[in-house]
Amino acid sequence: MKRLLPAGPARRLLFLALLGVFVLSSCVNLPRPPAEARVVPAPAEAHIVIFHSNDVHGKIDNFAKVAAIIKTERKSSTDVFFFSAGDNFAGDPVIDRADPPGGPMMELLDRLGLDVLCLGNHEFDYGLEILRKFPARIPTVSANIEAPPGVLPALRPWVVLKTKAGIKIVVFGLIQIEPGNGLPSTHPDRIKELRFSKPLARALEMKKLRASSQVLIGLTHLGHEQDLLLAGEMPEIDVIIGGHSHTRVNPAESVNGVLVAQAGSDNAYLGRIDLLVMNGRVVEKKGRLIDLNLVKDEDETIKAIITKIYRNPELARVIAKAPLEIGGKNALGSLMTDAIRKAHGLDIAFQNNGGIRLNRLPLDITLKDVYTLEPFGNQIVEIIMTPAEIRSLIKNSWEKKNDIDLQVSGMTYTVRADSANRIKDIKLNNPDGSPLAEDRTYKVGLSSFIASAYSFSHQDPGRSLYATTADDIILYLQSGIDLGMYRDVRRAFSEKPPEASRN
Amino acid sequence: MHVKVNGQTIEIFAGARVRDVLRKYSRAEWTLVMKNKKKVSDAHGHEVGLDGELNGGEELVIQARAAAGPRL
Repeated sequence: MKRLLPAGPARRLLFLALLGVFVLSSCVNLPRPPAEARVVPAPAEAHIVIFHSNDVHGKIDNFAKVAAIIKTERKSSTDVFFFSAGDNFAGDPVIDRADPPGGPMMELLDRLGLDVLCLGNHEFDYGLEILRKFPARIPTVSANIEAPPGVLPALRPWVVLKTKAGIKIVVFGLIQIEPGNGLPSTHPDRIKELRFSKPLARALEMKKLRASSQVLIGLTHLGHEQDLLLAGEMPEIDVIIGGHSHTRVNPAESVNGVLVAQAGSDNAYLGRIDLLVMNGRVVEKKGRLIDLNLVKDEDETIKAIITKIYRNPELARVIAKAPLEIGGKNALGSLMTDAIRKAHGLDIAFQNNGGIRLNRLPLDITLKDVYTLEPFGNQIVEIIMTPAEIRSLIKNSWEKKNDIDLQVSGMTYTVRADSANRIKDIKLNNPDGSPLAEDRTYKVGLSSFIASAYSFSHQDPGRSLYATTADDIILYLQSGIDLGMYRDVRRAFSEKPPEASRN
Repeated sequence: MHVKVNGQTIEIFAGARVRDVLRKYSRAEWTLVMKNKKKVSDAHGHEVGLDGELNGGEELVIQARAAAGPRL
């Protein structure tokens, strides 16, 4: 068969020209040439287009644009794929609180024709039961996760895709683990059935895949820094498509001959990789990001689905009935901190007044009320603290407004100040009124905001418990607790001369 | 874990995100980032999202956003 592409440098120029047309057409909808005028690669060659996203975190708004871009490309190109580098779940109540959690996200990814998903740490946030509901059509990859039979049936170390001309694309996955506990960044209870190995060490075992593939792709959820290390170790890989660190790599960068890409986060960008394969190997590769805010075209079918998803009836569902309207910082803060403390078996929990964003909860409490009460999605951080360190935290909180700022569970406290609002002493008491033991430490739960924005001494740097305050409140309210206990509750007190109060 | 921000080492809880480290580094810089007057990049100059998850030993750089040109 006569070749339609010229040889040598001219071929490269032609590829770059074609690439430019493909990229521009997906962004600005230039009029397309008639089909008979387009140059079609010979069967032994392929122009492969891979769209990719990562760390969508429940932000579905731009999926109608993503669908339009992919659909348009599939009309004009032979080999178009769509990959996800993980963390599609967690970050938006519309998705997190759907029935089942994450269900609408799975439906959208299925309809978009997702070809491969690399599991991210937040794919585990709803538990393995939910992850098993992922559409069976979509293979999930991660080479450093070991699951007992039946636990994650769709999971495999790698997957083989084929172009129309039979070119083999092998895609292997990797998930990040924390150096401390060797687990991905999610609550350990959610993944106790799984075993994880070090991603970069496991990746080296993937070198064997090179021999059986024309294109070798690492679809990772490691963070860009780790992707660069992987590229440095494994020049056998053609492309690394990453996630986790929410990095906008634009254009994709070449490291050790490996193209390394990542598409930011929150569905603000769609990544696009163009590969030219000739004689069984990749000879050209480019990657760039498409800013979805600049894209006008939307797929009407997907747009209608998204509109329906936003009418999520779950958010209006009553999850608890209270005998009284729980209102004011003391009562609401007490409820929030009790929820945090109970959810994680902590000794003490704190909540800052500024993070309580509702004046009162209604008698019929809905999920939407909880997300209005705590809309920030702050994570809970556990820090082991001494009473002296707890005083240091309370002191800093007092100095922000010369008043009580932290609500508490598991103890009470009293700040005594002088007429200039200077702290004279801080008394810490157990709920029964006895003083806290000065010679022991306490497991204290703080929001990630307090843990990072407040200045206080603590030997233990702490650790995220990978749950949000809203998650904990919902669990607490659904546990059937007697909410009558929050009538006139108060656990943080101040004693100061009357003239100090006016300052 | 430890993360460097503009060359300064910050000790922060394990599992912290970019926003947590920035708040601990400087309230003033954090405010400018929130007002979109400054952006955060990694050690290689790539902009990172505020919910980006961090590993110990990483580096962040806060820098002013390029001023927008005059409207034509």
